[in-house]
Amino acid sequence: MSGHGHEHSDNVAPYLLGALSEIEAQAFERHLMSCAACHDELEQLRPAAEALPRSVTPLVAPASLKQSLMEQVRQETPPEPVAPRRPWRERLPSQVRMRPAMALVSAAALLAAGGLIADAVTQSPGNDSGRTVAAKTDSKRVPVASGSLIVPRGEGEGAVLRVHGMPVLGNDKTYQVWLARGDERIPQSLFNVSRDGEGSGAVSDRVKGADAVLVTREPAGGGSRPSEEPVVRVPLDGS
Amino acid sequence: MTLLQDANQDAFEALYDRHGGAAFSLAYRIVGNKAAAEDISQEAFLSIWRSRDRYRSERGSVRTWVLGIVHHRAIDGLRRNLVHDRRRASAEGIEERHEAKELTDVEVLRRDEAKQVREALDSLPDEQCHVLELAYFGGFSHSQIAEMLEAPIGTIKGRMRLGLQKMRHQLVEDVA
Repeated sequence: MSGHGHEHSDNVAPYLLGALSEIEAQAFERHLMSCAACHDELEQLRPAAEALPRSVTPLVAPASLKQSLMEQVRQETPPEPVAPRRPWRERLPSQVRMRPAMALVSAAALLAAGGLIADAVTQSPGNDSGRTVAAKTDSKRVPVASGSLIVPRGEGEGAVLRVHGMPVLGNDKTYQVWLARGDERIPQSLFNVSRDGEGSGAVSDRVKGADAVLVTREPAGGGSRPSEEPVVRVPLDGS
Repeated sequence: MTLLQDANQDAFEALYDRHGGAAFSLAYRIVGNKAAAEDISQEAFLSIWRSRDRYRSERGSVRTWVLGIVHHRAIDGLRRNLVHDRRRASAEGIEERHEAKELTDVEVLRRDEAKQVREALDSLPDEQCHVLELAYFGGFSHSQIAEMLEAPIGTIKGRMRLGLQKMRHQLVEDVA
């Protein structure tokens, strides 16, 4: 059965399937380092072996699994160093430092304007490991929602939008993610949210140069154009 | 992945959202028990979180990396507990109850992908399909399979090789 005439070549498939004993696997790995033929065959068969886990019936993981996992992760994450806090008024830019009464009036005016109210638009500090951009949500249609867009470094591989507190839609509706470039609205993914309003949608196109990532509520199956004003908007710099 | 490697919890949560279902499905397929599949999935993702620096994109996709870790943990659990005689019958029951109903784009993609790979697997002669399943999902070694099927080890290794070759050919044809 050997493909290139020596005993080790018969071990390529069992190795990929995890069917060699530990000692056999270690011996085969040593052999691989000096045998181009086995190495080539390994690379040729690898895609088939790696496809096997994808053949299983897709199941829904219990929500308790994620809760328990994230709790553990939070416990294991070291707290970020906290800078000494200055009085809040000193932390405001000089052009917006004002007397508290005037600040309240301004905030009320902003709220009265309605529409999209920012969820404190923030970006992670500029560094070379990517960024997280906070979403603006519609205070009337999704009153308790919040969200953020995780953009990896390089911005060449799309991004992931995570939302919280979003209303659960009926079976005939879905949330749809869009990428906005000027007047163009490029459809991305569809997503639904869990009973506690959490969900995530993928942005598969490059976000570099885009103006915003949007979310609308669309008929099940999605659409090619948004049918309403966005309920979530993540502003990007368009650069 | 860069954000994850910087210990960003949001990035890890996004990774889980994207691959958690596939991980749980694979663990369940191997161990055939919901509680054990949850434990294995949790252990696997914690291991991913703790060893996040070890991912190298040149070695394969994130999904392959995640599922490889889940597979390793599940088979390890099987071998430790010697529970080779459970599974399939009970598996079909839970699949009915927990099968993904939410057809998000990710779920649709997973279902289509699963269907395509299953068709490739089903297109193999029974004896080849059987040894691939026994090895990959059952965690049996080539010598254990040879003993079970009362066939020479060389024959079993040959079936594994032919099975993978044909599967690869079938999958490439599907893409073309």
